[in-house]
Amino acid sequence: MIKSVEFKNFKALVDATLPLNRFTLIVGPNGSGKSTAMQGIKMARDPDASRSDTLITASLRNANDITIEIVIDWEAHDFTIFTRSGWRYVNGRLNAFGPEVHGDTGSASSEITREINNALKSFQIYSFDPKSLAAPVQLPKMTLWPDGLYLAGVLDNLRDQDPERFEALNEELSRWLPEFNRILFKTSHDGLRSILLRTRSGHSIEASDLSHGTLFALGFITLAYLPNPPAIVCFEEPERGIHPRLLRDVRDAMYRLCYPEQYSDKRSPVQVIATTHSPYFLDLYKDHPEEVVIAHKDAEGVHFERLSEKPNLDEFLQDAPLGEVWYSGILGGVPSQP
Amino acid sequence: MRVAVLSESSADEAAIRILLEGILGKATQEISRHPSLRSRGWPTVVRILPMVIKWLHYQTDAEALVIVADSDDSPVHESAHESAGGESSKCRLCQLRGVVNLERLRLSSVPGRAPLKTAVGLAVPAIEAWYLCGVDPHVNEATWARRLQSERISFTRNSLKTQVYGTDRPSLQTETRHAVEAARRVSNDLSVIEQLFPNGFGSFARDVRSW
Repeated sequence: MIKSVEFKNFKALVDATLPLNRFTLIVGPNGSGKSTAMQGIKMARDPDASRSDTLITASLRNANDITIEIVIDWEAHDFTIFTRSGWRYVNGRLNAFGPEVHGDTGSASSEITREINNALKSFQIYSFDPKSLAAPVQLPKMTLWPDGLYLAGVLDNLRDQDPERFEALNEELSRWLPEFNRILFKTSHDGLRSILLRTRSGHSIEASDLSHGTLFALGFITLAYLPNPPAIVCFEEPERGIHPRLLRDVRDAMYRLCYPEQYSDKRSPVQVIATTHSPYFLDLYKDHPEEVVIAHKDAEGVHFERLSEKPNLDEFLQDAPLGEVWYSGILGGVPSQP
Repeated sequence: MRVAVLSESSADEAAIRILLEGILGKATQEISRHPSLRSRGWPTVVRILPMVIKWLHYQTDAEALVIVADSDDSPVHESAHESAGGESSKCRLCQLRGVVNLERLRLSSVPGRAPLKTAVGLAVPAIEAWYLCGVDPHVNEATWARRLQSERISFTRNSLKTQVYGTDRPSLQTETRHAVEAARRVSNDLSVIEQLFPNGFGSFARDVRSW
């Protein structure tokens, strides 16, 4: 699990440290570095020299001898490990480096290095697109893409390989969206597989005719029920297209990924990072301020702060919903204007 | 009897309806053709309550409205609040009753429609405390009132969740399952909950029995 990520000279993140838990919800104004931080973690697995000119902080582009650095602090089997990745500009020449694994792990070194590299490689930023979620796919394709593409292939595979999970997923779907009770499949004459949802009255609705919110919900539920989801995932604005009354179910799906043991699921826990602009979604985390990170953007740049570390937090929150308190601005993490 | 329940979640609603039916001694129905009512917790429940009462009175077939709020860290309702002029502005049950009484006075009569019956409950400090009736006798109104006086007690709001659901991050499904099981158990002998929660639950039960 990642404990924190330190960014130096990476786009808007000139000098910022993002603290993380097994589940972390990041709130903040537009342009406060939430998506940039996620992009940074993704790039840290394999820094690509070809794109470096767009990665350096804008105000430093003419400087010499600059290093862009992403340092990830890991919690791995009680060892203190960190990885360093980035780009060094020296006399106009650029070198990408990392991920370099540092720390004293003794004889477990190679195993832990492999584990960390695999976790980094698996990192996915999900931002579902309804067209991709609904798209017919050529089998076999078993990995859900960040935009939701290949959902039909993933579900088809789950039905064949892990029917119990597929049944549980169907039950969960009908709990979220009671008008539906089953995921069905069809194959077109050109061999493309697509999904349909069966209504309680027995009609089948093709994925392309489903509402965006229904497709987003199906994407979340599918990820939550996969036997081998990525080790670290990010969801950008998971509330998008989802009715506020269903946000509790979205939260539950994410907790299911993070805490499988609490759902009698034997797979490994997933570290989940989510970003949101929804006060309704934020309301759901009032009892867990340690899971909320506020992204601040001010004259000194971007920085991150764990909500639980705010002094006198209880006095700020009192009886009010957390989302309303955040919206008011007294916690920070809101646009300076309007 | 058609009863609307204003609650924070479907889990709470399911449990409240079971307790309500235990008090009434008969089954209730939801109001026709309308979705369940939801609040986003305190203080939104106070803000939306006037609109909810008007809507139920003028546009639905509801015969009664039930409202149950968590007390959280607010004062526990006391029997002294029941006397005329004894209402506490900080007590959530008194505040809810104040809103209900005011809005009922403002309603115009509708031909063929009986006045909306109401019942207000206050779960101290949270509804999970009610679910522990008959399981943990240390969880009760009097003990929580001592905690509000800065005395150390054996439970917190979060620990109640863990005690009831086995986790402080229960899914809605888990919450509903435990809530329904607990409410069924508690409603088998309501004297226990009325003894341990004489004001927050007791007031609710007295309201319902007055219908």
